[in-house]
Amino acid sequence: MVKLRARCVVVGDAAVGKSSLCHMFRSDGAVFQKNYNMTAGVELLEKSVSVPETSDSEFFIYDSPGRELFADACENVWGQPSVMCVVFDITCEASFTSCSRWVERVRSHCNGLQVPGVLVGNKCDLSFRREVDSAEARTWAQTHGFQYHETSAKEIGQFEAPFLSLAQMFHSIYQDQIHTIKNVL
Amino acid sequence: MLDSALNSYEALVVLATSSDENYPAENIIDGKTETFWISTGLFPQELIIRFTDNMKILTISIHSYNIKRLRIEMSTSEDADKFETIAETEFEQTESSLQTNDISVKVPNATHLRFVILSGYDHFVSVHKVGVQS
Ligand SMILES: Nc1nc2c(ncn2[C@@H]2O[C@H](COP(=O)(O)OP(=O)(O)OP(=O)(O)O)[C@@H](O)[C@H]2O)c(=O)[nH]1
Ligand SMILES: [Mg+2]
Repeated sequence: MVKLRARCVVVGDAAVGKSSLCHMFRSDGAVFQKNYNMTAGVELLEKSVSVPETSDSEFFIYDSPGRELFADACENVWGQPSVMCVVFDITCEASFTSCSRWVERVRSHCNGLQVPGVLVGNKCDLSFRREVDSAEARTWAQTHGFQYHETSAKEIGQFEAPFLSLAQMFHSIYQDQIHTIKNVL
Repeated sequence: MLDSALNSYEALVVLATSSDENYPAENIIDGKTETFWISTGLFPQELIIRFTDNMKILTISIHSYNIKRLRIEMSTSEDADKFETIAETEFEQTESSLQTNDISVKVPNATHLRFVILSGYDHFVSVHKVGVQS
């Protein structure tokens, strides 16, 4: 089985739960931070993602700050992203509206390459305060060629899905590329 | 002039930063363009070829796909502890054919060549054949 390596950029507005998702994923659910610690610089986490019978991917996860004050300075750390994870908070309409801007921001570092993405509606354990309709988010994801996941960073069995999707999509690009090369020969 | 398979001159790929068992790095020195090594994500990527005899090299020819920037370095010592840059170049993108490039160098006696792929036109790049001429 092949081992791929990917740079996964995680973006979205402040306090939507990016760091929570990343840390829960990184630690297999061991640490949920109840208190909010604002991310000020990009935090790099490493994690192996297995897609059964398909591939292993080493993910270098760039957990980026949502606060505008820090965001600009951090973009340079991303390098050339392989995949992107755009997060919003389902209880905050404004964080969903920002997603297009976050995608554009990441795209400007992609040198025109196809970079697969997932849209993540986080905090779905707070659905009684929901402001963003699932159907609306799903439509947005489709128009951007993204997959849509709703998660709660608190629940095991939820925060893994977006990363698995990304690993799968990255692996298909790999296979497509091999296919293209073989056609050239 | 040595344009046939490098491995018949007892060259060996001693390091590759990516490995897919279906596309092993030895494929770059078997003299065939049909077999290849492919990177498995991120840049830079590195390949090191070791020669059993010191090699005098004037041209390095490379068949590849989607490589953008490439740096070539050589070492003259047995254990390859020091490398110096002998060429740095940018390949043009091709679509329906492989990239074929001949790079002129002045190498009096190398034990190793190191290829550092700095960037690509895609997430993944392939190297099909490396040849040297003296
Ligand atoms: N109820 C609930 N709270 C969450 C969830 N995810 C995160 N939180 C809380 O939301 C707050 C902000 O989470 P962070 O992960 O720090 O947010 P962030 O997106 O990294 O914020 P910045 O680093 O400022 O961009 C914290 O208090 C978390 O405990 C979730 O799924 N459900
Ligand atoms: Mg954070």
